Amino acid sequence: MIRHALARAYLGLILIFLYAPIAVMAVMSFNASEFYALPFRFSTEWYERLFTNDEILAAAWRSVWIALVVAGVATVLGTMATLALWRHDFPGKRVLQALLFPPIAVPWLITGTAMLIFFFGVGIGRGTPAVIIGHVALALPYVIVTVFARMQSFDRALEEAARSLGARPLTVARKVILPHAAPGIIAGSLFAFAVSFDQFVVSYFLAEPGDSTLPVLIYSAIRKGFTPEINAVSTIIIAVSMAVMVLAARYAKFGGTR
Amino acid sequence: MTGTERLRTLGLLAPAYVWLTVAVFLPLSAMAFFSLLTDVSFGDRDWSFTLANYTQALTNPTYAILLWKSLRLAFWVTVWCVILGFPCAYILARMIKGRSREALFLLVILPFWSNALVRVFSWAIVLRGNGVLDRAVNAVSPWEVKLNLMFSETAMVIGLVHSYLPYVILTTYLSLQAIDDTVIEAARSLGARFPRILWRLILPLAMPGLIAGAVLVFVPVVGSFMEPRLLGGRVGTTYGTLIEDQFVAVFNWPLGAALSFILLAVVLLILAAASPALRRAAT
Amino acid sequence: MKTILTTTALALIAPMALADEIRVLNWQGYGTDLDWAITAFTEATGHTVVHEYFTSEQEMLTKLRTNPGAYDVVLINSAFTPQAQAEGLIGPIDAAKVPNLADVDPALVANEDLNAGGALHGVPWTWGLTSFAVNTGDFPEAPTSVSVFWDPALKGRVSIRDDALEAVQFAALATGQNINNITDLDAVKAKLTELMPQIATFWSAETDWNQNMAAGQFAVATYWSGSAARSMSEGLPVAFVVPEEGAIGWLDGLSVPATSTKQDAAHAFIDWMIDPDFYVKWEAEGAPATSNTAAAAALPEESFNRKVLGDPATVARVQFMRPVPDDVRATYLALWQELKAAQ
Repeated sequence: MIRHALARAYLGLILIFLYAPIAVMAVMSFNASEFYALPFRFSTEWYERLFTNDEILAAAWRSVWIALVVAGVATVLGTMATLALWRHDFPGKRVLQALLFPPIAVPWLITGTAMLIFFFGVGIGRGTPAVIIGHVALALPYVIVTVFARMQSFDRALEEAARSLGARPLTVARKVILPHAAPGIIAGSLFAFAVSFDQFVVSYFLAEPGDSTLPVLIYSAIRKGFTPEINAVSTIIIAVSMAVMVLAARYAKFGGTR
Repeated sequence: MTGTERLRTLGLLAPAYVWLTVAVFLPLSAMAFFSLLTDVSFGDRDWSFTLANYTQALTNPTYAILLWKSLRLAFWVTVWCVILGFPCAYILARMIKGRSREALFLLVILPFWSNALVRVFSWAIVLRGNGVLDRAVNAVSPWEVKLNLMFSETAMVIGLVHSYLPYVILTTYLSLQAIDDTVIEAARSLGARFPRILWRLILPLAMPGLIAGAVLVFVPVVGSFMEPRLLGGRVGTTYGTLIEDQFVAVFNWPLGAALSFILLAVVLLILAAASPALRRAAT
Repeated sequence: MKTILTTTALALIAPMALADEIRVLNWQGYGTDLDWAITAFTEATGHTVVHEYFTSEQEMLTKLRTNPGAYDVVLINSAFTPQAQAEGLIGPIDAAKVPNLADVDPALVANEDLNAGGALHGVPWTWGLTSFAVNTGDFPEAPTSVSVFWDPALKGRVSIRDDALEAVQFAALATGQNINNITDLDAVKAKLTELMPQIATFWSAETDWNQNMAAGQFAVATYWSGSAARSMSEGLPVAFVVPEEGAIGWLDGLSVPATSTKQDAAHAFIDWMIDPDFYVKWEAEGAPATSNTAAAAALPEESFNRKVLGDPATVARVQFMRPVPDDVRATYLALWQELKAAQ
């Protein structure tokens, strides 16, 4: 029992650490001072301003749906590729795995500039499709690495057993492999969402003027910086995600059944 | 592999890799090409092939110092993420049961969805002198404590660990959660005590997840420049800053590209050097 | 009946047919994207305005190079105008389409850099200073010399921007040199080396600067005149200083990309931007100094741009920034990186 109390205390400390800046962000969205100055004085001014600021609201909404599309596409493509990489040994597999690192390791500034030049050169041009193409590519490695890590714990004997009982490959995939991979796939999609949602450089280079996402809006204010309105919109996003997740937690199990 | 298996493998791999090729590899190849030029081939600028960018990037002591600094920073951030993340993942995966687990799990992920810049600026409010942490500590401490962590290496590590911790927690959780209860029961019934079970059984089984998490932390942190600059202040210059400068302050893409490919090579070398040890740990 | 319908339809279509959507490339929050100004412009001319932002001059040039035809108006610092002109990125200004140009200070219209290639390529819009501001809590009496940056008592409460060119030019002022022709780079380096331990952080954005000032983290920091005016109008206890050593002056012009297909609308927008009505309203919110003498004359007596930048003795100390060749820029950057890496 002591061990459980300690465990909960530890978890509590981690959550305090994770939420300290989030809480500060939320509190500052209700602080009257534009300069985030303490002591705190309550005000809803930033929310009032936010609700008349179509630019921020549109950008926030655009970020959310782009991230959802990206998470969906990247998760499907990434999971497929992972199953192939995990299932078979073939010449060149190491190379394919090593190729996952350039999109993570090369600073996004370089990748973004490179995409701008290349997309411009081959006629993909700029705009939301280009942004989505870029985001999916950056999110793919995260999905693959995550799902692969999960599949390491798969017991091949299960698959053999299913086969020896006459299951066809597709049935084996659906009934045995995918259920085991599911938590990894969900985690991968959460990463993909985060990568896209917080991605500014690529969106910044590839978005059409007037079509920017929230991170782009924040980033391009580099000379002026951002006002507490951004805190307000971030707070709303976190609050809404929390509500969605609470609902999701009621109906879904992320860790499988145990 | 049989013919059909080969086809199936190809069919599974092709979409992802074709996508990566179009969106990342080909653009980066263009950058690799730039890194071999004397000047970017825009308009009527003269250019020719050269290796000078690489020799310059490899011989300048300033670059070496900052590369070392970035690697050291990434190392410490990774170490802290693993130290803090493993117990957290263990508790979530093995000690908490039922509905509260899903809820807690999601709570851990949620901060990850806030904007990086907003997060960093919030840390600034927490860490600076007369900031939230300073006031909180002084409220409970019987004597006066002067706490100003802002603009230091500590602040950089705190901010980066916060940004990247969910990777380690999530991937480790995935491995831990897959461990069969009966294996641990068996070990326990054979008289093994917790530390021994942890060391000989759980840790090795969690290794694939820990490694994946560590890689997903280490690799991007080496190239980071925004968090270090905003939280590290005077000491927050990193190798990533150098690359950024070539694009932002001066128009020298060839050198900037050469610097980033050197960074990529160093990262891949480190991963390759570590991989035998990692693979042994993972199996 | 039919004719009435037709005329109504024509009346609706006519301004629409002339109405263009123009794309403006500028820093975010720098005058052209003020909501009320754009609304008024659209009401007056029918043209709509879309913005795209850049975060550095190099990026602005990159965007012009890689997206021909995408922009109609671009803000270019006069130090970069010759380069943009030489690369064929911007076209000459048609003065006939910018009536307000008649009121613009002739000295600025004749500016050598804006007239790169022998014709006016950028309409002088705003100018200002890069100097410094102090926290009035620490300085009841504003200092008169940049030497405060090296005051040991202020160690850890000093800030400059993380920009190689700005840092080097600032040190050039402190060592009594011409910012456009730095002959003793060793002195600059020595001065900056001495400055480094004093610095708390390098500031990056206006809000970041304001926050650090408000929190008392900074006592003295380099700043832009327009931003200082804005911070003061928002109630921050700071004073802008133009020290006896002088200050760095800059001039921003509005240009029309050579590839713009909406030349008329672009020129109309530029004309709108140098209009005294627009400027006086903008100034009240904190703006850099205007190029338009009629606009400057229309400012209230106590306004920042009139009181601080309107003083001839101050202007006499300003050294205006000239174009910096690529190799010189690279030298400054290498020096700055070396200093930062040593921290």
